[in-house]
Amino acid sequence: MVRAVVGRILGLIAVLVAISVAVFVIFNVIPGGDPALRLAGRHPTQENIRQIRHDWGFDQPLYVQYADTMERLFIKHDLISYQDQTPVLPAIERGIPRTLSLAIGAAVIWLFFGILIGVLSGVYQGRWLDRVLTVLALAGVSIPIFWLGAVSLYLFTFKYHGSPLFAWIPAGGYVPLTQDPVGWATHLILPWLTLAIVSIGFYARVVRNSMLETKHQDYIRTARAKGLSPARVLTRHTLRTCLIPVITLFGLDFGAAVGGTVILIEPIFGLEGVGQYAQESVAHLDLPPLMALTLYGAFFVVIFNTLADLAYLWLDPRSRTA
Amino acid sequence: MRRIPLVVAALALATAAAGCSSGSSASSGGGGGGAPQNGGVLRGGIPDNPDHLDTGISFAVEGWELLEATNNGLLTFKKAGGGQQAVIQPDIATTMPKVTDGGRTYTFHVRPNVRFSPPVNRAVRPSDFQYAIERLFHVGSPGVGFYSNIVGANAYAAHKAPHIAGIVANDAAGTITFHLVKPDGAFLDDLAIPFAFAVPKGTPYKDISTDPRWRVATGPYMVSTYVPHQKLVLTRNPNFHQWTPNSPNGHVDEVDITIGVTPEQAVNETIDGQLDWYMESVPPDRFTALRKQYRNQTFLFPRNNVTYFSMNERKPPFDKLAVRQAVNYAIDRNALVKIFGGQGIPSETVLPPGFGSSYKEHHFYPHDVAKAKALVAQSGAAGQPVQIWTTNSPPAPAAAQYLASVLKQIGLDVTGVKPVDDSVYWDTLLTQSGDPQIAFNHFDQDFPEGEDFIDTTLNGEHIVNVGNNDVSNTNDPTLNAMIDRTKLMPLGAARNAQWANIDAYFMQHDAGWAPFLHLEQATFVSPRVHGIVFTGSYFELIPEMWLSK
Amino acid sequence: MNGSPPIAGGSFRTAWRRLRRNPAAIGSAIVLFLILFACFPGAPLWVSHACHHGPDDQNIQGTVTENGHKVPVVANDGTPIGPGLRACYLLGADANGRDLFVRLLYGGRVSLEVGITSAVLCVLVALLLGILSAYAGGMTDSVISRFLDLIWSFPVYLLAVALATAFAVNGISIGPLHVASTSLAIPIVVISIVYIPYVARPIRGQVLTLRRMEFIEAAIASGYRPTRIMAVELLPNVASMALVFLTLIVATNILTEAALSFLGVGVPLLTPSWGNIIEQGYQTIVTAPWLTVAPGLAIMLTVVSLNVLGDALRDAFDPHARIRIRG
Repeated sequence: MVRAVVGRILGLIAVLVAISVAVFVIFNVIPGGDPALRLAGRHPTQENIRQIRHDWGFDQPLYVQYADTMERLFIKHDLISYQDQTPVLPAIERGIPRTLSLAIGAAVIWLFFGILIGVLSGVYQGRWLDRVLTVLALAGVSIPIFWLGAVSLYLFTFKYHGSPLFAWIPAGGYVPLTQDPVGWATHLILPWLTLAIVSIGFYARVVRNSMLETKHQDYIRTARAKGLSPARVLTRHTLRTCLIPVITLFGLDFGAAVGGTVILIEPIFGLEGVGQYAQESVAHLDLPPLMALTLYGAFFVVIFNTLADLAYLWLDPRSRTA
Repeated sequence: MRRIPLVVAALALATAAAGCSSGSSASSGGGGGGAPQNGGVLRGGIPDNPDHLDTGISFAVEGWELLEATNNGLLTFKKAGGGQQAVIQPDIATTMPKVTDGGRTYTFHVRPNVRFSPPVNRAVRPSDFQYAIERLFHVGSPGVGFYSNIVGANAYAAHKAPHIAGIVANDAAGTITFHLVKPDGAFLDDLAIPFAFAVPKGTPYKDISTDPRWRVATGPYMVSTYVPHQKLVLTRNPNFHQWTPNSPNGHVDEVDITIGVTPEQAVNETIDGQLDWYMESVPPDRFTALRKQYRNQTFLFPRNNVTYFSMNERKPPFDKLAVRQAVNYAIDRNALVKIFGGQGIPSETVLPPGFGSSYKEHHFYPHDVAKAKALVAQSGAAGQPVQIWTTNSPPAPAAAQYLASVLKQIGLDVTGVKPVDDSVYWDTLLTQSGDPQIAFNHFDQDFPEGEDFIDTTLNGEHIVNVGNNDVSNTNDPTLNAMIDRTKLMPLGAARNAQWANIDAYFMQHDAGWAPFLHLEQATFVSPRVHGIVFTGSYFELIPEMWLSK
Repeated sequence: MNGSPPIAGGSFRTAWRRLRRNPAAIGSAIVLFLILFACFPGAPLWVSHACHHGPDDQNIQGTVTENGHKVPVVANDGTPIGPGLRACYLLGADANGRDLFVRLLYGGRVSLEVGITSAVLCVLVALLLGILSAYAGGMTDSVISRFLDLIWSFPVYLLAVALATAFAVNGISIGPLHVASTSLAIPIVVISIVYIPYVARPIRGQVLTLRRMEFIEAAIASGYRPTRIMAVELLPNVASMALVFLTLIVATNILTEAALSFLGVGVPLLTPSWGNIIEQGYQTIVTAPWLTVAPGLAIMLTVVSLNVLGDALRDAFDPHARIRIRG
């Protein structure tokens, strides 16, 4: 077990190094993204530009620049953005609680409703409730997430803002939990629902399919034959097995959400978490924050993938022989 | 083809003098409300960090707008809107300078007892102005070009001299003298912009926007808090005392600016009563409704801007004059104004209406698609591929797509419209290798004088490979000579008339641009805000604003 | 021979029978057919018979007649006309005076082309990599799996956006291969890359299971070449899985195209796609909401039909849900 874990950790580091190199290469190979020009401002002289190139080390070979960026990121902690010369790490630190507030809150909602709908679908398989819930769940995951955010923001904070039902919903922005818990929640309610709606469907389907599989298993039929009530069978046996794929899916999904999907929601709601910072950095071809953010994102994805793998192995002994 | 009538300019003058404004959609001032009241906290919003809060480096209107409230130079533009903003007046200098030696020597007396804010605290000295200008060459300032006409500047830039020989600062006598290589009437403008504002000697050679030890003020306000991406607070400078009507005391006690407010958010928050003032334009699509509902809170100000499509004369098919003229005939400027939400004045000129007598609207290219098509066919350019570049900042992409449909109509083969992120676009345009065939472009004034626009963008002698502002690569010897001659003239009507001539000559004989409008800035404020004076360089002047209870 | 593979050719027939009896599957198939009809043959028909202007015709200074009045297509303040019961500008116009309904039809072509092509590319490459790495095992498997891990560890949208941004600046230039930055090939290639691991892993898992079965052992013992085994024995047995994935990946890719276009790095501007119509309409969502709402609904309708169909396909092939999310 220890060897497996150590192996995983080494794998994680290898992947992160590879990703950092990939990002660095991608963004240094583009012409037209010359940061020296941008730093020089509007009426740059040749001397200005040469000076900036030297000060920032752009005249060094690529591998030196890469090493320097990594050093600034991990050791000296003084990585600075090209766009406005502000330090990158404090900006990321400021963004993380916002992104986590968004992701965790949404996760609670989507897990609850996903499992609920999945169980109902599984129990009433083939009947109209199953069909209706199926279509609803699938409809949810078919909505472009940014569009859902944009349209809901428009409807509830502009078009129907006058109605007392929606007047309390703020038009974007973020309030820290420690500062004002109620404000924190009201500012996050639309983002939570947006992220949750497009995720519920996956979980509902997984739970449903899992239930269908277990329903036909022998040990379930034995329990029923023994006279256990359907509800008992459900909670005692079926549900537990069903939750295994949910947990593994959640591992993949949550990592992907925190690492990447938030890039689409945060800018719409102006949450200024790491997702929005990432979207701005890509748009600005701003390499330093992009390096840091990609590594942060990849780290989350890989960690959660690994946790999901380990959970799958631990929870489902049958899979160990697969 | 509207022109700002003289009546409005006069109104602005009266407004500035009285210290209060009246009228709602006046072009340069507004807010009504009676006599100004002092006190209160102005709640402001801005979408992103101001570019810099360092007078030597800032070169965007947001930074300049704040620096105008906190710092001062030897000279200043009159704190008025309309044509009056071009009038230059003394600020830390006691009077306008003595100009001698055929327009090559400028001597100033520096007002004593103008103090820097804490923690520097001491009085401003002549050597601080010398230091400010010399520092530009050490921080890679985008403003160095304005001062290279000073004797010894180039030697200093090349590290061959310990100081700029042409700046002579005498702290004991309280004077500072500038020696220029060639006479240049606009040198007074160069001293009125933030690059030449006083900076305490010893300020480090790096961006001090976030360093309160050196980010000091001489004006009525100082930046007391700046947390990038979060907030910026201006409070009164305790060491300030008003020294002339040109340096107002400032009415509000404090300005609290939240960073990261989007334009839509700003409109909603202003309506909800949470925001007083936003440092960017109102989205055009909302402006109509706002104007109807909140008449006294909405304003449309001329920005002294020219918005145009620039054509690269070095790249086919725009290397042919006929094709460039065809583009000018083919675009319907009124349609483009619609794309800009009606917030612009359709025009064929380079210089904007706010430049007084330098602005003379011409009509060389009435909208005529058939004629444009014929010109393209005759010049043999029909079917040639063209890629249009634009910034991704709306509504530029819509304007670029309009241009695409127009170019297709006149027989060119449009291969695509390429939007580039705004933060990168302008640098890309300034590089020869990146310079596209035809691009969306705009130019906003640095200072309200024809030289600022024309010498920077149309003088072929300034063409370089990197950092090239002559994006159209216009290099007409006659034009260059006209520009150089006009620069030597002193400011005034004669000089302005020359700029107007050059404008007309360029559009008729070179047509490297297809200018289509001069932008107006749409502002929406809360009902508490009054005293808005709008200038092209600094937009709303913060010390002029006041709040009613 | 014994140990027959879990899914034989006959199961396609069984699947078809199950599918036919599934009302959701039939409904979604009909909806998809209607969408395809509207976007492909339908679009030019509408243009030539109903409204006489194409998706790129900009009519900023034009007017339409409503109740006897002449109404400008684009008002002086830039607000375009809204939806109404008229042949021209049925769903209103955009800020450039273009007909939204016509743009939706032509944009649908592009979104579907990009979605389908990238999905086919993705599944083909995933099949290739999945079968190859599972069959060959050892070093090949290691290398391919690590490479897939690398791609999959990149947060999906970040990778897509990074690649699309990089290519959007100057296109792709690898040796003799030159792709212009305004070509549709760029979003197609980028989108197809990011989901390859998602499909390849389960396929690899399935092939690993198949590989241990007797019919494969027998084929190897009979001396058949590896390529023949992979193509003739293994491929048909993962075909049903690939088909299910294909439907779902088309759905995912249409959403990804929309997201990339929304971030400005998807389909280039002059070619309308549902995603970039939203991107342009979003700027004026307050005064012209139809420009944002309509294309989003079009996407939703198409994607939900694909998802329902894909789900039904999965049920039809595998009613006991053996094809799982994780292979």
